[in-house]
Amino acid sequence: MTTWEGLLYGIGFALQPAVLIYCVIGVVLGTFVGVLPGIGAMAAISLLLPITYYITPEAALIMLAGVYYGAQYGGSVASILMRLPGTPQSAVTSLDGYPLARQGRAGVALFTAMASSFAGSMIGIAVLVTLAGWLSHAATAFGAADYAAMMILGLVAASTIGSSSPAKGFAMVVLGLLLGCVGTDVNSGVQRFTFGRTELLDGINLVALAMGLFGVAEVIANVRDPDRQGVTGKIGGRQLLPRRDDLKRLPGPMLRGSALGSFFGALPGTGSTLSSFLAYALERRVSRRPERFGEGAIEGVSAPESANNAAAISAFVPTLTLGIPGDPIMALMLGALVIHGVQPGPMMLEARPEMFWGLVASFGIGNLLLLVLNLPLIGIWVAMLRIPFRWLYPAILIFLCLGVYSVRGLSFDILAVAAIGLAGYLLALARFSPALLLLGFVLGPLIETNLRRALLIGRGDPMIFLDRPIAAGFVLATVGLLALSLVQAWRRRRAR
Amino acid sequence: MHRDWPDILGGLALAAIGAAAAGWALAQYDIGTLRRMGPGFFPAVLGGLLTVLGLVVALPALRRRSDAPGIEPLAALAVLAAILVFGLGLFRIGLVAATAAAVLVASLAAPRPGWGWRLALAAAIALLTVLVFGLGLRMSLPLWPRLP
Repeated sequence: MTTWEGLLYGIGFALQPAVLIYCVIGVVLGTFVGVLPGIGAMAAISLLLPITYYITPEAALIMLAGVYYGAQYGGSVASILMRLPGTPQSAVTSLDGYPLARQGRAGVALFTAMASSFAGSMIGIAVLVTLAGWLSHAATAFGAADYAAMMILGLVAASTIGSSSPAKGFAMVVLGLLLGCVGTDVNSGVQRFTFGRTELLDGINLVALAMGLFGVAEVIANVRDPDRQGVTGKIGGRQLLPRRDDLKRLPGPMLRGSALGSFFGALPGTGSTLSSFLAYALERRVSRRPERFGEGAIEGVSAPESANNAAAISAFVPTLTLGIPGDPIMALMLGALVIHGVQPGPMMLEARPEMFWGLVASFGIGNLLLLVLNLPLIGIWVAMLRIPFRWLYPAILIFLCLGVYSVRGLSFDILAVAAIGLAGYLLALARFSPALLLLGFVLGPLIETNLRRALLIGRGDPMIFLDRPIAAGFVLATVGLLALSLVQAWRRRRAR
Repeated sequence: MHRDWPDILGGLALAAIGAAAAGWALAQYDIGTLRRMGPGFFPAVLGGLLTVLGLVVALPALRRRSDAPGIEPLAALAVLAAILVFGLGLFRIGLVAATAAAVLVASLAAPRPGWGWRLALAAAIALLTVLVFGLGLRMSLPLWPRLP
């Protein structure tokens, strides 16, 4: 199938009413949950994951992707109007979005966010389509050693790049890997760390883990916050329209942001957070009047929004073609696919074209829907932001418990959420990243299997990781990253 | 300014978990060889690594100062207790009562006095839950307490 045939096929698939409806539901629910204060894409996906058990894997993936970019957009609304970012990447948007809103230009900031997200996702789709075909072809040459080395590179990159404390990041990744060992060992059938509980034979429930770490911990962190006053006044209609000089300033940041985002999104371990920070910094550097940034520069909203949406989509490249999630959100997506009995990998493009091309097309359709739906719905989101959190969080908790329960029908999992939630809250307090834990948890079994297979093939000689050129490249990059972060730590110590 | 307790305690806790996991794996599971790894190999290596990393986080923090994080014991307690009430109650007192009880417990942490809004909220969420999960998604859950 050529790219164009694939795209046409995908559009046909995604426009079927039975599929399109889930795209709409995903986008709307994702925006709805993303607007809720303090709740980011991660929590939104885990909260809505159980709904997808009732539908086909293709529709489920399309719906979850809709939830993902819907939640990202909802997060931007919350951070522009209330400076209540649910995620680090929307924190960047609030740097200039909130000042704009304070100046009475909230509508323009929202429009810029919408238009930039759309531009970013379109460019992301182009990158995804180009890279995926090439990469899934190249990936047929990958052996177990290459996979293991690549995943380890991804974990090292995720915990060092853009992290204030690589040691804490690594510790979380390793804890995640360790938690991934719980359950029956695939190779030997031995039950590891189950302590006689039959509920743990299949390992720790991914949904319980994600909901505990993100949903419960975020609810606890927000419960006591007093009702916050955001930007008030009517938003919608005319106020959304930008002035002509605003429009003239948009294409540059959109293109630069999208380019940065699609590059970093496709790399393992980095992703949307890093790319929105970088896009913001780049825009400030190329601007002729950098002093306007932080005071309500429209470029400061446009660039990070294009970047994180482009990254959100190009992050699907390694997830779908190699079966290796590049960031924690993709890890959750991959987990969701595995629950549906689909194991992404190099063969997926050939074996399940409807899933791949349907998803690609749904990205375009979903983002168009986001643009179309949000023009009329923006008033609802603004009204939602004014609902006191004390009315919302008990309902969030109940839905979360029932969502976890629905996965396997075990009330053990609800109790597990409480325990994981406590751990997640303490981790967040001590500034350990729960997202890295989840990434380690999902990659753990994949790494172990490939590592064991590679060493079996290599007759126990670790040199197999250096003999194969692909694996050697990843090992070299990993060592380079580690050396770099050690040098940085040493410099920081000397500077003090 | 206080000592950097989050890093000290967090690092030590991780080191303890790592050491326990490594010890358990070494004692209970077959380690195997590098060529044919047993089920204990990977967890033992990870446990050792976590122990080292926990100490790397904790030890330098002993000589460092930092702001104490704003801990919310009441919020944490109410939210976690609500989940436990719901999880334990679901099959004993039924969906409606478990939901209402959990909402009441969770709302204890909200920074607003009074019982009127709490009771109204519990009733509203119980109704919503029955509509969405009981009638909408048709999950097979007992709605009411089982009669003796």
